[in-house]
Amino acid sequence: MISKVTKANMLQEKEYLEHFSVKTFKDQLELNHILLAFNGMFTQEVLTLIGKTLQSTPNSQMISKRLFAIVIEMAQNIHHYSAHKAYSEKDEKEVGTGVITIGSDDQYFHICSGNYIKKSEVPPLLERADYINELDKEELRDFYREVRKAPQRANKPGANLGLIDMVRKSGNPVLIEIEEVDDDISFFILNVKINKEL
Amino acid sequence: MENFHIEGSTYIPRIDFNASTGVLEIEGESYHEYTMEFFQPIFDWINEYLKEEGRNITMNFKMSYFNTSSSRRFLEILTLLEEYQNNKGGNVTVNWYYEENDVDMQESGEEYADDVELTFNLIAY
Repeated sequence: MISKVTKANMLQEKEYLEHFSVKTFKDQLELNHILLAFNGMFTQEVLTLIGKTLQSTPNSQMISKRLFAIVIEMAQNIHHYSAHKAYSEKDEKEVGTGVITIGSDDQYFHICSGNYIKKSEVPPLLERADYINELDKEELRDFYREVRKAPQRANKPGANLGLIDMVRKSGNPVLIEIEEVDDDISFFILNVKINKEL
Repeated sequence: MENFHIEGSTYIPRIDFNASTGVLEIEGESYHEYTMEFFQPIFDWINEYLKEEGRNITMNFKMSYFNTSSSRRFLEILTLLEEYQNNKGGNVTVNWYYEENDVDMQESGEEYADDVELTFNLIAY
């Protein structure tokens, strides 16, 4: 005989599983050859863990380093700029939450990040990405150095160099997708691909 | 003046500034989430150190990875040293070490060398 408590638990479990299928999740991960995925608070510990994992992933040391550099820039963007935040006991402050995945196909590693952002922040980001994506290698180098020389932006922890660095390190344009959420917030998806072979 | 030292970890570089020899060394990885806060005491020390004129300074970078925020901090350090050499009779040499096959780290060094007017050695190891 099943007790009332167990019955209640099973009911709760069933409801949960209606929203989440481990099988579908696993299939999705495998279909996209996801090597690594993280959803939640991008704390220093998480970054360190990602770094250690990536150092042993691809065959080439140089590609590992570049993958790592791209992931760090994405993670730090989420940490500082995500519109959704959670309280980190360790940092003793609110830090941004989001998702990062690293997948692959025959030719590329695909690094994607997703986080909520204020709608007002979308147009300048798209404009920046369009501008950077048009630059050749030399122009990217010059633009990176020009921005680095400019004074630190007030009230912004970042160096304003992340997107430029991602394009330089990946050797490919960045692709931004925006999903509407409500009047104030959008979901921001950043895709970067990097060739598996140097 | 006291020496300045920070023990490195996976995400912060080892900092070794020797006040008497003038050898200032930054080594390892740098991707602290709060880069500005992390670097503040480093800048405080350097600013204090550069108050005395005419010092001979060797600035060594031996980085294996640094994020874009650190990249900005490094340029700020180099700019302070450049001003010191130009205005306070300092004599500054920068040694930029990079792992032999690390073309990105080599390129970073070349870019800093172009950004400041200092004796700049790029050294593969």
